[in-house]
Amino acid sequence: MPFKILFAEFKKSLELNNQILDLIADANDKLSGDYIFDEQYIRNTCQKLTDLIRQLIVTINHLTDQKYSDLYTSFHRIEEEIEALLKGQMLPHVNEFILPYNAITRNVTDSVGGKNSHIAEIGSRFGLSIPEGFAVTTAAFSRYLEENNLSGPIDAIRTRWQEKKIPVEEAARQIQQLIRDAEVPTRLREEMLAAARQISRKLKADSACFAVRSSALGEDEISSFAGQYRSCLNIPLEELPRAYKEVIASLYSPEAMEYRLLMDFRPHEIMMAVACQLMIPAKSSGVLYTYDPVNPERETMIVSSAWGLGEPIVSGEVPTDLFVLDRRPPYEIREVQIVRKEENMVLRGCGGTGVDAVREEQRAESSLKTTQLQELAKIGMQLEKYFKRPQDIEFAVDQNDRIIVLQSRQLRLQHERAPRACDLTGIAGKYPLLLKEKGIAAMEGIATGPAWVFTEERDLKDFPMGGILVARYATPQLARVIHRAAGFITDVGSTTGHLATVAREFRVPALFNTKNGTELIPHGGDITLDTECLTVYKGIVPELQYYSLQEEPIEEMYEYRLLRRVLRKIEPLNLTDPAADNFSPLGCRTFHDLTRFVHEKAVETIIDLNFYHAHHRDTQAGKLIWEYPLDLILIDVGGGIEGEHDRGIRPDQITSVPMKALLRGMSCPGIWDMSPAKVDFSSFMSSLTRTTPTRSTSPEEVGRNLAVVSAEYTNINFRLGYHFTVIDAYVSDNILDNHIYFRFSGGVTETLRRARRTRLLAKVLSSNDFLCEVHGDIVTARLKRTDRNRMLHCLFLLGLLVGFTRQLDVRMISDESIDTFFNEIKTIMEEQHGRK
Amino acid sequence: MEENNRTSILILDDEPIVSKRLKPSLEKKGYKVEAFTTSSEALTRVREQPFDIVITDLKMEGVDGMQFLTEVKEMYPQTEVIVITGFATMATAKESFTKGVFDFLAKPFKLGEIAEVIAKAEAKIKKR
Repeated sequence: MPFKILFAEFKKSLELNNQILDLIADANDKLSGDYIFDEQYIRNTCQKLTDLIRQLIVTINHLTDQKYSDLYTSFHRIEEEIEALLKGQMLPHVNEFILPYNAITRNVTDSVGGKNSHIAEIGSRFGLSIPEGFAVTTAAFSRYLEENNLSGPIDAIRTRWQEKKIPVEEAARQIQQLIRDAEVPTRLREEMLAAARQISRKLKADSACFAVRSSALGEDEISSFAGQYRSCLNIPLEELPRAYKEVIASLYSPEAMEYRLLMDFRPHEIMMAVACQLMIPAKSSGVLYTYDPVNPERETMIVSSAWGLGEPIVSGEVPTDLFVLDRRPPYEIREVQIVRKEENMVLRGCGGTGVDAVREEQRAESSLKTTQLQELAKIGMQLEKYFKRPQDIEFAVDQNDRIIVLQSRQLRLQHERAPRACDLTGIAGKYPLLLKEKGIAAMEGIATGPAWVFTEERDLKDFPMGGILVARYATPQLARVIHRAAGFITDVGSTTGHLATVAREFRVPALFNTKNGTELIPHGGDITLDTECLTVYKGIVPELQYYSLQEEPIEEMYEYRLLRRVLRKIEPLNLTDPAADNFSPLGCRTFHDLTRFVHEKAVETIIDLNFYHAHHRDTQAGKLIWEYPLDLILIDVGGGIEGEHDRGIRPDQITSVPMKALLRGMSCPGIWDMSPAKVDFSSFMSSLTRTTPTRSTSPEEVGRNLAVVSAEYTNINFRLGYHFTVIDAYVSDNILDNHIYFRFSGGVTETLRRARRTRLLAKVLSSNDFLCEVHGDIVTARLKRTDRNRMLHCLFLLGLLVGFTRQLDVRMISDESIDTFFNEIKTIMEEQHGRK
Repeated sequence: MEENNRTSILILDDEPIVSKRLKPSLEKKGYKVEAFTTSSEALTRVREQPFDIVITDLKMEGVDGMQFLTEVKEMYPQTEVIVITGFATMATAKESFTKGVFDFLAKPFKLGEIAEVIAKAEAKIKKR
């Protein structure tokens, strides 16, 4: 292939690479809640991405003579997964049958169901006591159906019911019978028992018993589902497989079947995960509502409790003590009603439960102590803040008087009393304002809590639970407190930055770019943040707080869930290290991985073909020999290099106009004087540009930096650590043809210093007439139709910046350094200009 | 604000997320908002009473937004119509402008963007 064509393909791959990454960044931005988009948008975006990725793979295979045809395999797999998600299918995220609670994260909610995922999150996030336990995943459920060939017969029965040939009760009975009569697959049985034994061993009791409960998909979100499924209590270890069958069979209760028909569930969405939890021999049990569901405006919490196990309390079969508490610290008790409790449910030694008479002296006694009520109130407010909804929390008090959270789910408040957005008109006049219509919403929502202003003398580790973080910059380090923060407010920040992404993932309202929020918001005082109105109120605005907890949060709408799910197949970057084993076509798990892989291989291919292997007749290639060990391979496609060279090219042999300007910038002595400490330039350049570990000796492995040059043209691809720099420039006397394109991307793990560097780059480039865009930590800058001198001046600047970027990582120790460096660069550029 | 003085807005989009998102946001700003997902319901309502501003999608399942807005404009030339659509082509944009549409927004758009357009339409209405 002539180099001209090869290079055109190479440039095409770069162009595709850029389009793909921009599209991904834009899609993430849509999650802010600030956009109105529909399913069509998600489909269109996926379609565009799929097309671009396909072209990218075609291109790299064209370049490499089909060397990476395995990319198609990965591509088709990901494409199919995205297709399935768009059709509304749930993809199993895990293959495991069993997941212990400490291994459950938000990412696997679709595999373990809401109940498991919530309780596990409560345990890990807050250090609250939860029952020891494990989830039996939907993967296990699928296997159960598969091994017993149940799907066909179940579908047949369901069809007969839907065709009204049999009543729903009959259909339910037949399907449940099928499920109960089937065998638990051997591997599942063994793993289930092993997980239970492990918990049992920790107890040092010989006979641990478990509660086996449903944790169906969507169960917690839809109140009508509550109570439709079976729970089996106090199940001895060896009985677990039988109880498992009982619980999954209840997926086909007549009520659940009717409900799903109504909600248009597809067969593949009918799945059940199961929760196996160590049985707590409860002294007393109860339920906490974080709002009075009938009179929410009273701003109270309600606790009902009784002696013994919780089942009869939840189902309302026994009289319970009732406590009404304030929703605000110190959670004063406003009302107490103690009832006579004659009976309570207790565990039977050999498994199962029974009803016993309560001891006479306990019957009229309160089933909860005041201190326990206080503790419950605190737990309730914590969970409400975290899950961003009023909560309905089941708890037990164990024999050591410890409160154990058994379940927490959204509490439905009485609908007719729900506030409407229009009732909120005029609120702005009623409460004192700290900020009014300032900044941009990185995540929509309402937050209330104490303001915590982040200054030099404060440590993030002291940030309080439920506080609103007020900071000068929206730096990624703030993401550390995401689990404790109710909201974020910053003076400076971008909606496409790392913190914005994290805020969206965890649905924490965030208001950036308020200019002087840190000055106007007092530290420690309660505030109410409403990012949709770009407003911060002094004090708590109860109407807004209540409204926010009641309104269906935008990010829980189907389209948002779908976009988030789809992005999981697109956005994460797993291929971070070209030397790692997974850096292969089949190792690609997301579209980002594919893009990253192709970029790496495209650059490598151009270098290999033109430098290490057979030369093209129409090109010359050589490594730059410089006083600084810059690993740069130059490929001349015409008039960019002069004189003889035996694979080594001296700077003075370079005749390419743009390349010369860039090199001058990169080696500008001025830069090094500005650093407070002396820097050894050559060792620094070495660390900057060395692309491979020093131990590697094979020539093929050295040098990943590529410059394709001609007399008037330069295209450079630098890989500096995880960062890429691309410069494409054409400089001639014809102003209309002149262009510079610069792109800098920071790779995976963003750090505070890299974020500062992004801001510095954008600032410098913009002030030098570049049209500059920032997507996350990708900076792109364009300059067109500018005269030759100005172009060379700007290329010098880019050289300067490239030579400087790695140093910035090390030296940008504070946000003030942005201005310092900006001014230093300005000075150098002015001197440079004067010299000309 | 007096009930009668509030600017009334009708939203028609067959994707429920649009009204779900837009309605509370506009209500919070003090507008009187009604939202519909089918054009027949929306038409019935429009026949009962005029709205100051109508926001409609163009391409909907089984519904022609263009026809809806044409009818609205015929009934109430004073009503300002804002078109939102995911299939924005120059031709459709042109056509809707010839029908007297106030503005045209391509989906996805930002809440702030539509709020701005609505404010402009409101200003135009108030000037009359």
